[in-house]
Amino acid sequence: MKKQIKTLFGALFLGLCAGSLAPDAALAHGEKALEPFIRMRTIQWYDVEWSKSKLNVNEEVVITGKFHVAEDWPRGVAKPDATYLNVSAPGPVMVRTERYLNGQPSVSSAALKPGGDYDFKMVLKARMPGRFHLHPFFNLHDAGSVVGPGQWLEVDGDASAFTNQVKTLDGSVIDMESYGLANGLAWHFFWIALGSAWLLWWIRRPLFIPRYKMLHSGQEANLITPMDRHVGTAILVGVPLIVLAANFITDRQYRNAIPLQAAMDQIDPLPPIVDAGKVKVKIQRAEYNVPARAMTMTAQLHNGSEHPIRVGEFSTANVRFLNPSVVQPPQGEGAALAVAEGLTLDSSAPIAPGETRTVRITATDSLWQRERLDGLIRDADTRMGGLLFLYGDDGQRYVSSVSAAVIPKFD
Amino acid sequence: MTGKSLDLPAQPYTGEKARLTRAYDYLILVLALFLFIGSFHLHVALTVGDWDFWVDWKDRQWWPLITPLMMITFPAAVQAVLWPNFRLPFGATLCISCLLIGTWITRFFAYHMWNFFPINEVLPATMLPSALVLDAVLMLSNSLTVTSIFGGMAFALLFYPTNWPIFGMFHVPVEYGGAQLTVADLFGFQYIRAGTPEYLRLIERGTLRTYGQYATPLSAFCSALLCTLMYPLWWYLGKLFATTKYVTKI
Repeated sequence: MKKQIKTLFGALFLGLCAGSLAPDAALAHGEKALEPFIRMRTIQWYDVEWSKSKLNVNEEVVITGKFHVAEDWPRGVAKPDATYLNVSAPGPVMVRTERYLNGQPSVSSAALKPGGDYDFKMVLKARMPGRFHLHPFFNLHDAGSVVGPGQWLEVDGDASAFTNQVKTLDGSVIDMESYGLANGLAWHFFWIALGSAWLLWWIRRPLFIPRYKMLHSGQEANLITPMDRHVGTAILVGVPLIVLAANFITDRQYRNAIPLQAAMDQIDPLPPIVDAGKVKVKIQRAEYNVPARAMTMTAQLHNGSEHPIRVGEFSTANVRFLNPSVVQPPQGEGAALAVAEGLTLDSSAPIAPGETRTVRITATDSLWQRERLDGLIRDADTRMGGLLFLYGDDGQRYVSSVSAAVIPKFD
Repeated sequence: MTGKSLDLPAQPYTGEKARLTRAYDYLILVLALFLFIGSFHLHVALTVGDWDFWVDWKDRQWWPLITPLMMITFPAAVQAVLWPNFRLPFGATLCISCLLIGTWITRFFAYHMWNFFPINEVLPATMLPSALVLDAVLMLSNSLTVTSIFGGMAFALLFYPTNWPIFGMFHVPVEYGGAQLTVADLFGFQYIRAGTPEYLRLIERGTLRTYGQYATPLSAFCSALLCTLMYPLWWYLGKLFATTKYVTKI
């Protein structure tokens, strides 16, 4: 018995060692970690596209897309007064060379307006070879990261071939990969050499027990020699002199140096795209059927356009429930979070111009569970949200941001 | 410097006793090395943190305030052991050297090799000149009060001018994205990381404002004042924890 226990523990130990020596790559960025009501009712991403999925070091990939800032912003989440459009990546395997919000170059944080529509573009330049999973995401001050749809990127080439040159305002061109490195190392080595010399000055002599004994037997005067005092005085005078001289020279060398910048960008929303006026949607009731993993929304739809419209898609937290008779499922990586036959209606006939109709829209799939959105019913805020896409027979798309309290159904 | 002046002071032991006490010295030094690399590095990572990690956090207000204040701690505590008991005036230099060893190991292996950040973006600051002066003040004054006031102040005041020659060139302005940035800001924008946003970057904010557009001297003197208080506090903490009262026979 004892031997078996020993063998068991031995096997467990070996397994633990083997596991820690060959760890798997982290493939997720916590995109399901944030509470569902935050993912559903803050930044509502759509039309996110990547210009390519394979590239070489030094080549660029462009991410474009749109997002709507939900009107029904959760009360428990700080308002989006300071937000930052970012990219989640396993370190700087890419560098971000450009970023635009609503066509405006943006390098800092910006305030977003609830109910506002925005488009974005980010240009990333490949820096490290490998296969990486990237997402656009929003850092929301005091709330967390709301992650957009992700994409695998395969980067070929040699990391040492990467270049990143930037022109400063004084006209010199610098290489960001090595700028200031030699100077920084030189200063560190200089001070480390001086510090080491001081340590060696003392360590070369007997230290603890002899000095303790001498100190406590009244021989303190012998422990610090006149030479020690001279060296100490030299340090006291020389080190500040070197520091101040180097500081003075640096000041003269970089006369145009400025403090780190802390301003925020000012970005106005686009003219309304979501809830632009012609088509109006009001959710009267939302029920989540737990065993069926289905969200049923009773919605009052009003068609103010001049063409019949049909409900084509409900999108929430990057999961897309599609009505196959209206919207074709996406190809490629986007298909993973798109449910081709995920959206059903109790009344599938097109809504005529001027008509107001109440329909039951059901979004069904296990993705509610797999994306941890079903946890909504156990949250402190159980309101759901998302974007409802309606299409006119002329091809026009109408987007509506919807939200409602959710009632769970357990049987 | 003559050969005689470099002679070591007389010591009470000779022969085998001297050899054993020397072996004990090395044992303690090696243990101290690892202890301070680990503990002081952890302390600085938790308290100074991003201000020391990233070039675009090293601002003129918070960085020179926080860094000396948090880095005078262990040096004061170690000096409280080494000076009163052994008259060894290298506690501050030892601590800061150990910190730098730990810092450079993590910057190179964790930040550069593992997470791909260019090493120039994560250059650490140095406090070795401040530590040398702190040790020298203690040795020459043999006074806790004098070291607290003058050593503590010097420790803080020397910090920014020590590091400006390393980081000044990262403050050269660049036009980028329709705005004026420093090269350091550009690192934050280009080299993707989760902590880039300005609202996460605790720089240039709060009530610690400029005077005639000068910010650093205000921060440095504020830090100097606080360091004069922090130094004796940690001196006594060091003394408290360095007790041998639990060792009955030594």
